[in-house]
Amino acid sequence: MAVTTFAAIDVGSYEVSMKIFELSRKVGFKELTDIRYRLELGKGAYSRGKLERDMVDALCGILLDFKRVMKEFGAEEYRACATSVFRELKNPIVILEQVFQRTGIQVEILSNAEQHFLGYKSIAAIETGFKKMIQKGTAILDVGGGSLQVSLFDKDALVTTQSLKMGSMRVRERLKELEKTSNHYGQLVEEFIRNDIMSFQRLYLKDQDIKNVILMGDFLTDTIFQEERRDNIVTKAEFMNKYEQVVDMPVQRLSEMMEIDPEYASLVVPTMVICKNFIEVFNAEALWAPGLSLLDGIAYDFAEKKKFIKSAHNFENDIIIASKNIAKRYSTGKNHINGTTEIALAIFDSIKKVHGMGARERLLLQIAVLLHDCGKYISMGDVSECSYRIIMETEIIGLSTRERNIIANVVRYNTKEFRQYGTYEGGTTTDRDNYLLIAKLTAILRIANAMDRSHYQKVTDIRTVLKERELSVIVDSPRDLSLELGLLRDKVEFFEEVFGIHLVLRRKRRI
Amino acid sequence: MDIKKFEKPEYFGNRELSWLKFNDRVLSEARDKSLPLFERLKFLSITASNLDEFFMVRVASLKDQVHAGYSKTDIAGLTAKEQLKEISVQTHELVHMQYTTLNRSLLPALAKSGMHLVVEHELLNKEQGEFVDRYFEDNVYPVLTPMAMDSSRPFPLIRNKTLNIGALISKKDKKKGKEQLEFATVQVPSVLPRVIQIPSAKKGDTTVILLEEIIERNIEKLFLSYNVVCAHPYRIMRNADLTIDEDEAEDLLVEIQKQLKKRQWGEVIRLEVQEKTDERLLKILKTEFEIKEEDIFEISGPLDLTMLMKVYGQEGFDKYRTPRYVPAPVPRFREEKDIFKVIRKGDVFLHHPYMSFDPVVDFVRQAAKDPEVLAIKQTLYRVSGNSPIIAALAQAAENGKQVSVLVELKARFDEENNIVWAKKLEKAGCHVIYGLVGLKTHSKITLVVRREETGIRRYVHLATGNYNDSTAKIYTDCGIFTCDERFGEDATAVFNMLSGYSEPKKWNKLIVAPIWMKDRFLKLIEREAEHAKKGMPAYIVAKMNSLCDPVIMAALYYASSCGVQIYLLVRGICCLKVGIPGVSENIHVRSIVGDFLEHSRIFYFHNGGSEEIYMGSADWMPRNLDRRVEIVFPVEDEAIKKELVHILTLEFKDNVKAHLLKSDGSYEKQDKRGKILINSQMEFCREATEQAQEKQAKKEKSRVFIPAEPAEDVEE
Repeated sequence: MAVTTFAAIDVGSYEVSMKIFELSRKVGFKELTDIRYRLELGKGAYSRGKLERDMVDALCGILLDFKRVMKEFGAEEYRACATSVFRELKNPIVILEQVFQRTGIQVEILSNAEQHFLGYKSIAAIETGFKKMIQKGTAILDVGGGSLQVSLFDKDALVTTQSLKMGSMRVRERLKELEKTSNHYGQLVEEFIRNDIMSFQRLYLKDQDIKNVILMGDFLTDTIFQEERRDNIVTKAEFMNKYEQVVDMPVQRLSEMMEIDPEYASLVVPTMVICKNFIEVFNAEALWAPGLSLLDGIAYDFAEKKKFIKSAHNFENDIIIASKNIAKRYSTGKNHINGTTEIALAIFDSIKKVHGMGARERLLLQIAVLLHDCGKYISMGDVSECSYRIIMETEIIGLSTRERNIIANVVRYNTKEFRQYGTYEGGTTTDRDNYLLIAKLTAILRIANAMDRSHYQKVTDIRTVLKERELSVIVDSPRDLSLELGLLRDKVEFFEEVFGIHLVLRRKRRI
Repeated sequence: MDIKKFEKPEYFGNRELSWLKFNDRVLSEARDKSLPLFERLKFLSITASNLDEFFMVRVASLKDQVHAGYSKTDIAGLTAKEQLKEISVQTHELVHMQYTTLNRSLLPALAKSGMHLVVEHELLNKEQGEFVDRYFEDNVYPVLTPMAMDSSRPFPLIRNKTLNIGALISKKDKKKGKEQLEFATVQVPSVLPRVIQIPSAKKGDTTVILLEEIIERNIEKLFLSYNVVCAHPYRIMRNADLTIDEDEAEDLLVEIQKQLKKRQWGEVIRLEVQEKTDERLLKILKTEFEIKEEDIFEISGPLDLTMLMKVYGQEGFDKYRTPRYVPAPVPRFREEKDIFKVIRKGDVFLHHPYMSFDPVVDFVRQAAKDPEVLAIKQTLYRVSGNSPIIAALAQAAENGKQVSVLVELKARFDEENNIVWAKKLEKAGCHVIYGLVGLKTHSKITLVVRREETGIRRYVHLATGNYNDSTAKIYTDCGIFTCDERFGEDATAVFNMLSGYSEPKKWNKLIVAPIWMKDRFLKLIEREAEHAKKGMPAYIVAKMNSLCDPVIMAALYYASSCGVQIYLLVRGICCLKVGIPGVSENIHVRSIVGDFLEHSRIFYFHNGGSEEIYMGSADWMPRNLDRRVEIVFPVEDEAIKKELVHILTLEFKDNVKAHLLKSDGSYEKQDKRGKILINSQMEFCREATEQAQEKQAKKEKSRVFIPAEPAEDVEE
């Protein structure tokens, strides 16, 4: 039986943690060890955008130690992720390179959307009740040190996901000075976060009826609700009881009562206040705290990719639905999108051997199609640039920053002239591979888009045949296709340039 | 559970006085005529070394308290001053008893057996005298450094615990009139053996003399131009410990830190001199050492009886010694050499020294060589000089295993020793953790991580005693091997914590001090009390080295008052009082002092019939529960539980070596008349040997031929 040992590392804002898992097809995954080291990296990062040298030293020390522990369990593979701390640094790559040179551990920075998607994945994967639960309105609340994430589900799919910059540690740091002036710290925190929460409610909770709240978390949330969450459910009454008990308690007492380090204890009140406000906003009766963290998500993701486990839940669908919701917000024509998607995917699938792209790229194409028109909401005159900007500024759950960047560029060059590599304006994140990917996806999108230029969905059926180096696209339409066929010519040229195959468009003969 | 009302000073005994009673019990072994003569010598020697340690650590600490002006009372309501006063009275009695035993009983008996211990050089015959003088010239004289005191030379520094000879000397060419006496002193060299064999008057006998007697006899040779007026041995004990004893309360520590300057470093806290020492000499010593009358011990015999261990070790005289017990092999490991395979079949229980300690050493050794082993982790507190475990750990690191070792540098008196081999391990590539700040790591745990076909498997050894192959032959300890994943996970968490990582979210099985243990014990005791209240049978049986945690004791009183029957086996200090009406009538305490040092800690709770048994490294003392990293673990295997019940039961049946605590605080042995004598330690020896032979015999007797199976490969 093949058994793989895998280490997941999370460089978080107030602790660095690692879990080692044993993965196999037979038992799925099993946790071997869970170690955490308290290190408040967020302290300097949130206020100054810098990491002090001794923090970097400490981080390297811990990672070297983690490496030793990995050897103790014979872990061959690992994934180390940094979250909001590194996202907020002015120059994260330089620090990560230092860390790599000193420890040999490659730490990647997760985008907010990726981070929370991973966390969410772990719940969906492990807890069997999840699928049933998200039939009804469900919110996932993930309170971290730097930020928190709220995701809303309805009818088995993700509706929206929002990141609010009010993690427990950030709140604590921001209110540090004020703390001395008030005897009611809890109230202070509440007022501080109130505005953001109200905005969230106004924008996203209008037509949502939330029945369940899932509390994702880490060690801290687990500790807070240790007693209450024996069955993983914390009722509102239990929560409020606990809240009253701790909200005005000094840190020292808290740390004694909960038997945790005072540094952790100082994060308890902000966390509690945040949770309380959301419970009120959602008007939820109970919290479900499955006790899973980002580390479980990382391991789950790895296990899924290596095919140790197969999930019952379709995560790609979540990403697509989230994208659809974005498109809806910018009033994109649903029919045009559907039509274009069908054509784009048909082309993609028929020339798999030519373009060499996989399932993930297919997903990116799908999202690019979904969002290619969103800029119209801002300006009809400069759709490509506006779409580009919207996508760059909108978090799409499950996508890394790199992937979002690719989609934004594909959308931008859908109508704009494509640049040569080197003169390309994608910025520092675009390397050769990304450039090629953008080119390929753009070529497909352009064809698909052009075929529904009039937005009438004239094409009722499409068939593609690849023969030698020639791709025949046979379309069926009861209507006049002159506009589409005419406009297509410029697009074909680019397509042929990118893939090196001949594209022939035929109309299915109607009898 | 309301235990406040049981926390009254009158319900508790003072720990120092209780300790002295323990030393009395050891002394009673030396006085027991039914014991082989040389064994009695050994026990007498142990009482002496025990007493030395007691002064150095405990008395010194009490002196510190007095100097610091610390006026808080102990659990029995005594101030440090009051304690010292009582200690002085009782130690004087103890010393008196030591020498009565030696002079009246042991020395005559030794002479009868053919062993002559010359304690006064005046008793030597001519031939012996010549031998001794020659020995002095050849071996002793060159290493002696006599020192005198006069107006230009101050009183010399006398080193802690050394034996010295003090003399009064006067110039030979004294002017008529007054005799001018000067003080001189010479250290009895510690580089030479204290006990020296000399020719015997009678053939076949053995005669030994003490080094200080040889020097005394020849003392004139050290001060050639002087007359030696008198010469007497003396010995001092200083408050020389740099650290404050961990048993002390936190606020005392603070207090002493504040008074650090006032602390009298090297203050002399005990002076031993021979009886009938010249008054003038004694006066000089008293003045120079600034010592009070109650701290002076006038000894009627040789000073420092630890030397009796050397006499015990003299060749011959085997019939006066108990034959050395050879630990029996552990049956399950004898049948199958692959330790991991044996453990996979089920938990294995070890009871040392009745059973051999070898499996524990082999466990590490095998892990060091096994290609599938990834990591070995161990806590080391006290290890033997030439430890095979250290060697195996170093080997493992060289073989590329991840080896982590926690070395406790704060183990009393072992600091230097520990640091040497810790460096050695580090050199070999081990990851060495040098203890934790402010906490002693007393837990005994080993973890081996092995990669097997089905994934990672963790093997854990948990014990009540140190990983020390030498003491494992003398200390009674228990241990188990298991590969239960819940224990494995906890073991990993323990080592993570010891490496400075945060505590785990939950413990599966282990109970770890200083954070969780005390509460857990209190809950277990309370649960038993609840059962008793409901009229169900309720028992607690606990075995430990010392019992002096006030909270635990109060809880036991509470449980007793609820009707729980409590049986305690406490070898050493026990501050709990029995037989207080309404408080401790249901508590029975006994102490076993025998050939082996009772060292295991076993805790049994009846729990309404579904018995729970725990073992571990912790005593019920504040230092173990609040200031040390300790592990107590449940025993879950039914067969092992049975064995432990058997151990506890048999020890409670012991009527040879057990002393029962009386309500007046004294200990007494049982009346043996008309009873079958049961010496539990000897019973365990017999049982272990029989068990080992049984298995062996079964194998040999079998008439069924068993086809050999091909040697199994090491599992991939």
